Amino acid sequence: MDVSQYLDIFIDETKEHLQNLNTHILELEQDGENMDTINEIFRAAHSLKGMAGTMGYKRMQTLTHDMENVFSEVRNGNIKVDSDMIDLLFKCLDALEEYLSTIQETADEGTNDNEPLVKGLNDILNAKKGEEAPKEEKKTKKSEKKSKKEDKEEKADDDAKAKWRDIKIDDTVKTVISEAAKNNIKAYGITVYIQESCLLKAARAFLVFKALEELGEVVVSVPSAQDIEDESFGFDFSVIFMSDKPLDQIIAAVKYVSEIQDAVGGEVSLDEPEKEAEETVNEGVPAVAEDVPAASTASTQAPAKAANTSAAAPDKKSGKPVVNRTVRVDIEKLDSLMNLVSELIISKNSLVSVAGSVVGTSNLAFNEQIEYLESVTTNLHESVMKVRMVPIENTVNKFPRMIRDLSKKLDKKMELYMTGEDTELDRTVVDEIGDPLMHLLRNSADHGLESAEVRAQRGKPEVGSIFLDAYQDGNNVVIEVRDDGNGIDIEAVKNKAIEKGKITQEMADVMSDKEVIDLLFQPSFSTAKVVSDVSGRGVGLDVVKSKIEALSGEIEVKTKLGEGSTFIIRLPLTLAIIQALMVVVGNEKYAISLGAIQTIESISPSDVKKVQGKEVINLRGAVIPLVRLNRILDLEDVNDGSRDMIVLIAKKGDRLAGLVVDELIGQMEIVIKPMGKYAGTTKLISGATILGDGEVALILDANALI
Amino acid sequence: MEELAISSEITQYIKIRLGDEFFGIDIKYVDNIVRMQHITRVPKAPEYIKGVINLRGEVIPVFSLRLKMGIEEIEETKSFRIIILKYEGESVGIIVDEVREVANVSADDVEKVFHNTSEGIQNFLSGVGKTENGLISLLDINEILNDKAL
Repeated sequence: MDVSQYLDIFIDETKEHLQNLNTHILELEQDGENMDTINEIFRAAHSLKGMAGTMGYKRMQTLTHDMENVFSEVRNGNIKVDSDMIDLLFKCLDALEEYLSTIQETADEGTNDNEPLVKGLNDILNAKKGEEAPKEEKKTKKSEKKSKKEDKEEKADDDAKAKWRDIKIDDTVKTVISEAAKNNIKAYGITVYIQESCLLKAARAFLVFKALEELGEVVVSVPSAQDIEDESFGFDFSVIFMSDKPLDQIIAAVKYVSEIQDAVGGEVSLDEPEKEAEETVNEGVPAVAEDVPAASTASTQAPAKAANTSAAAPDKKSGKPVVNRTVRVDIEKLDSLMNLVSELIISKNSLVSVAGSVVGTSNLAFNEQIEYLESVTTNLHESVMKVRMVPIENTVNKFPRMIRDLSKKLDKKMELYMTGEDTELDRTVVDEIGDPLMHLLRNSADHGLESAEVRAQRGKPEVGSIFLDAYQDGNNVVIEVRDDGNGIDIEAVKNKAIEKGKITQEMADVMSDKEVIDLLFQPSFSTAKVVSDVSGRGVGLDVVKSKIEALSGEIEVKTKLGEGSTFIIRLPLTLAIIQALMVVVGNEKYAISLGAIQTIESISPSDVKKVQGKEVINLRGAVIPLVRLNRILDLEDVNDGSRDMIVLIAKKGDRLAGLVVDELIGQMEIVIKPMGKYAGTTKLISGATILGDGEVALILDANALI
Repeated sequence: MEELAISSEITQYIKIRLGDEFFGIDIKYVDNIVRMQHITRVPKAPEYIKGVINLRGEVIPVFSLRLKMGIEEIEETKSFRIIILKYEGESVGIIVDEVREVANVSADDVEKVFHNTSEGIQNFLSGVGKTENGLISLLDINEILNDKAL
């Protein structure tokens, strides 16, 4: 058996555990006494160690093992958490992340032993040992984690747990055993219990077998080796094992495998099987009698076990459904499901259009079915979309740690406040949004927040605040990065732009604040006077902007000098299928995302006014610039001015614009198709879609029009 | 013997017509040949890009080979075809006046000398091939699709 098939699970799980550790160690820094947090850390470290061990990553295992030891001492109250220790732990996490990324690339952990870290951890342990060596010495050893009391209970359970007694030993095996006995080789029965939290049962079992085979020979296993390899067994398995080594040594070897809860064993005596069976029967469980000849599997033994004293069995039953509630699915499978849903929607749209075009099909039942189909496909799309949605939590959870490190590095006091971590976005978007957000946060920490002295002068609290708020707003998800720092200095930006030759003094004089801020998003524009290690490495806000635009999102800045700035990112919930408004401009059909449109107005041509040479309308008190789509799209004017105009009021941030179209077709669910790099599209066109009649319609990007 | 080995290198070209001149497109780039269909115009695109079409659910850009090579456009006729090319993973359609046949051109019969072709067109050619049915100018697909102007 090969463990490489578990690599993906391993990587995923390890990431989760590392994130978990990061979060909790941060909490620990705040509250070094919180037992829940400490326990959580201990568990995560322990699982990490177990997983690394299973996968054969020795260096990773060593490091986590030492970390676990430290946590164990913290948990026992023998070590107090201090800031040096927290720093060291964070360094360990970084080292583990390094291992993980090496593993991800090469399936190997690399050769970095991280000796200084291991030494640091051991120093912590040893420092403590110096004080209380006699009392606690034993506890650092892995096998001693259980308390005395538990040990006793286990003794009592041993008999009930010794399922190996139920293994039927057939004649050939008996012969082998008696032959071996002549050579002083004993036969043992061993039942191994795997922790129920264990994910890689088969892998653990494999390691147990490997350990056993070093000491002797497995002659019978229940369930069969094949079943164990296929993971078709409960949380225990039993073997008959031949060895000349003492039982203690064998049991110890088995228990040394991580995530093994327990192993019980005894010598198999060929004379007594009958008696053993009777004993169990006497306990009043009829099923056991059948179990013996059937060499039964774990499932049939479960009732017998439940009837005995062990409390583990009922626990197992109630716990299981919870575990099975979630399924890990490869994102590619979801992508292909999404594609199929897209195809279905296109084909539904053609059906609708066929139904509309065939004259005389006023068949009520047919139309009803079409409508039903429409609602099913819409729901289907929504469900698939929801399946692809993940909370942004996984991405933003690393930020508190980052801010902590930045705080130390920049020597500024700051605190990150996050809300809405449970806001969900399409998985692909969540994966991509991390870098831009990280950049904005660094930006806030480095450029935004003032030094302590300046803050004091301005009467601001010494500790700077950075906020990351996420929330859903209609079909969009909004993520705001806000700080209470200096804000953007418009004049400084202007001067910088002039200095860089981006604009002239004359241009600068007439520029609005908004236009000046937009300059920040141009390539290689950094206002920081000192290029620091943290930000301003030439990768600027332009990269943030292009990344967000690649996700069909937009970014906006609000700032007030001396009070702080807010970067507002708006992202669409889904990328593939949108609700769109179909319109006709000239003689061409276009789709416009419904999300961008506020209202649809009918405006008389006589209501169009000119302000500074630009056409505007006055709508309920708001002056809105008009965008004549036919002119922008190089099409002829269809409306000669005698009819009312159809104007779509579109919104981008806090700006409005009236898009003039010639005809409305209606609302439609459209599938966005990429157009390829050869289509020569400009920013105006955000994609294409296939209409019910098979024709291609282009999707206008309302944002680019405003 | 050596000569024989070289002459056995035969490349297949799709022989197409633009006006009264014949061109060959290396068959390895050709994914499909379809009839003319409704093309959706892409505003603001360069003139030779005629727009996009729907080919079995995929949106594919289409451009006029005539305009791309600087030849004057003519009224669409029934013989017009769109040749769908697959180039570096992207599909592109090019409109030609007519598709004639598959021509086998041996590497020996390709010359780098151009007769009767204007200089503008020469930039898009990789050579001239001799076939049983006369000469065909071999199109350099890299040059046609990899143009900086795209």
